[in-house]
Amino acid sequence: MKITAVIAVVLLAVTLQVALARYMIGGRFMFDLVLVGVVFAALQWGPVAGMLAGTIGGLLQDALAGGIIGVGGLAKTIVGYFTGQIGTQFVLTRPRARILPLAVASIVHRLLMLSVTGLIDQRWPNISWPAMLGETGVNAVCGLIAFLAAEALPDAISRGRMSRRSSLSRRQW
Amino acid sequence: MLRRSTFSLLLIISLGHVLVISAQVQSKSGLPVIQSVAFGVFSRFQQMTTGVADGVRSGWAKYFALRGVERDNEQLRKRVTELEAQLQQEQAQAAKARGLEEALNLQRSLPAPTLAARVIAGNPQPGSLEVMIDRGSADGVKADMAVVGSRGVIGRVIGPLSPHAARVQLIVGLNAAAGATLEKSGVGGVVSGGAKDPPLRLEYIPNLVDVQPGERVLTSGQDGIYPSGFVIGIVEKSEKGRNGQRDISVRPAVDVSHLEVVLVILGAPAKAAGSRPS
Repeated sequence: MKITAVIAVVLLAVTLQVALARYMIGGRFMFDLVLVGVVFAALQWGPVAGMLAGTIGGLLQDALAGGIIGVGGLAKTIVGYFTGQIGTQFVLTRPRARILPLAVASIVHRLLMLSVTGLIDQRWPNISWPAMLGETGVNAVCGLIAFLAAEALPDAISRGRMSRRSSLSRRQW
Repeated sequence: MLRRSTFSLLLIISLGHVLVISAQVQSKSGLPVIQSVAFGVFSRFQQMTTGVADGVRSGWAKYFALRGVERDNEQLRKRVTELEAQLQQEQAQAAKARGLEEALNLQRSLPAPTLAARVIAGNPQPGSLEVMIDRGSADGVKADMAVVGSRGVIGRVIGPLSPHAARVQLIVGLNAAAGATLEKSGVGGVVSGGAKDPPLRLEYIPNLVDVQPGERVLTSGQDGIYPSGFVIGIVEKSEKGRNGQRDISVRPAVDVSHLEVVLVILGAPAKAAGSRPS
């Protein structure tokens, strides 16, 4: 696990979430890119990375959201850990195969958030299943894009290096 | 062994989260330090990222498409927003003055000063109806100041404030409300957010009052936050309800999904709406 990579992923996700959040006001669907980042870190680097990403991302999101700090942190830490465990149990190397754990993680995360909020408020909140499924779908699409990008990035970098090397060797001839 | 220690770590971190949550739920005074610090630091960072993104976008637009026109357009849009809000304020003031002229022999109220601000971010919590603006306590912005746009009321400033950023609770938000009056009848009520579609409800209007769809709903100025005369929205549905009160749905005047430039009303609302000139 690379701690810097995990922190970088989480910070990127939080920045994107804050930057794009203004465009989802009044829209039909919500998304949680921080959760996508946490799931990405968990599947890429294992449960400890997932836990770390969940803690940092969740706490940062809570602090910026202005609500009770720790609710999102707790939910994302748990989701990050168990997603990482699933990632170590099954072979989930292809981006499309990672969509299912992300979708499950989205639903579990939302239910955890509602449960903790309900415990704090001492009343069970109303669950909007269409909204939850909408969020799951949008998260899955965002996750697929992120996973495909992460898969394509190393190849693109090595191709670039190779082309530079070959052009240099041609110059020598 | 490693798995067990990882699980122990999860338990410890989860316990830490629960302790943090418990501490906040029990304490009712003031804001958590971590919250205000994170907000302050991140708002700076967000301003920078927004600045970079805007720079790239505007550079592209100016170079490849409309060299210089984008900048002029942005300035003009800002100016139009300011002028339209000013006009609305003037109209509200003029309407008020006409009534006061008869009763109090020309008692004009001074327009409140306003401050233009750019919307730089939204709330990262999905479903939360708040935005962040690039003006803060250093610019004279305080909590509970009204925020308006060219078409009407947008929301109010809520804490915590950082020197160069502030959070705005939108009028359509779950816990948002404003004192309101119907334009034609002048009957007062309370507009509250959080409804589904349209997102505003006008409450405490008796069944006896004739309210038709299309009627404008204005701020009454009695809530101590929003100056009177600003447009909140337009009545979309009005039906007789239980308990002698109408069920009125209101479509907000401002499309909160596309906010770019807003105006913060800096003066205290009561003063701005009805103070005597010295």
